[in-house]
Amino acid sequence: MPGERESFVAGSLRHLQDNIRRAGPAATASYSLIGAIVLLGGSGHLIDRWQGTEPWGLLAGLLAGLVVGFYELAKTVWKRN
Amino acid sequence: MQQPDHTEATEPAAGHAEAAEHAGEHAGEGFNAGEVIIEHVANSSFEHPILHLPPLFGIDFSVTKHVFMLLLVATAVFLLITTAVRRYLRQDRLVPSGFMNALEFIVEFIRDSIVRPNVGAKYVRTWAPLVLTFFVFILGANVIGLIPIFEVVGLIDHYVLHTGEHSLVKNIIHGGTTATGNFNVTAALATITFVSIIVAGTLAHGFIKHWINLVPHGLAWPLYILLIPIEVMGMFVKPFALTMRLAANMTGGHIAILAILSFVFIFTEQFSAAAGIAVGIGASIPLAVGINALEIIIVFVQAYVFTLLSAVFIGMAINVHH
Repeated sequence: MPGERESFVAGSLRHLQDNIRRAGPAATASYSLIGAIVLLGGSGHLIDRWQGTEPWGLLAGLLAGLVVGFYELAKTVWKRN
Repeated sequence: MQQPDHTEATEPAAGHAEAAEHAGEHAGEGFNAGEVIIEHVANSSFEHPILHLPPLFGIDFSVTKHVFMLLLVATAVFLLITTAVRRYLRQDRLVPSGFMNALEFIVEFIRDSIVRPNVGAKYVRTWAPLVLTFFVFILGANVIGLIPIFEVVGLIDHYVLHTGEHSLVKNIIHGGTTATGNFNVTAALATITFVSIIVAGTLAHGFIKHWINLVPHGLAWPLYILLIPIEVMGMFVKPFALTMRLAANMTGGHIAILAILSFVFIFTEQFSAAAGIAVGIGASIPLAVGINALEIIIVFVQAYVFTLLSAVFIGMAINVHH
């Protein structure tokens, strides 16, 4: 009985490991998407504040963030297929 | 002497009903939930650091709460692991026991299921130590943030020690305890990842080839005008995503717990002590316990995800598929 229980725990752990490993690239892509928008939008906003070019820096930053984020997402998807 | 004392004592009592009425309009005048939460999450003030050090090359090296926590975690992790490994190496039999057993499980787990699948068999021995250090250090910092050491110190100070305003004990109590909840800390960790991505690519392919590998080749040349800036920005986005996620997750969990617990004080202030206690027992404490349990999982998952993504990024620089 203890052996059976241990194998159950070990099996669950292995499945968890497996799932997390397969989720790794997806996690990368999702976080890169948000990260790109926040980072580049934020830098655009800072450039706006520095140069006084409201709101173009923010807009350009957000657009660049979208492009970069979706490019990273697309790369992950292409690689998996 | 007796008379003025008496009037002074009754004045606040008389004004209490008024204050209670006003509390409805100015919520949180007595108890400022936002201030308390920020105080428990953010770094301690730069004006009163724990240890004042002279600036070096124009950089202030004073030890604030988060720096203190970093040093504490680094020392604790270093001592714990070196003593365990030394004791293991000194013993005769090769079967690890106790803490060493757990440590060996972690090492094998990181090496075999994080580093090897991502980096590849050739470079496992090069990158496993770095990734393992990331994991142990981040896990240590996250876990220490969950243990209320300084709250206990604060209680002892409040009831027993009664130290002065800016004494060492008071300075240690103030500020958040989770060093990984500070964006500067996680940014530094992500910078290490950023540098090691470049080093990994350079080791595997040579310096120039690493940069060429960043963009897929075999495309029409006008596409490169678009792709090269995107790839360069993407290079910075990946470590930024690492920075943001770890710090935001650690800070967010603490803010959630503190916000739920501050309901007790808000209800006490708005209605009565009985209402506060009822909310505390009925809602706040069970919810806070639940979120704390969730935090224990998050602490492991975030340490795991940071190391996993670091390994994935390093592996992407080494195993280039087009």
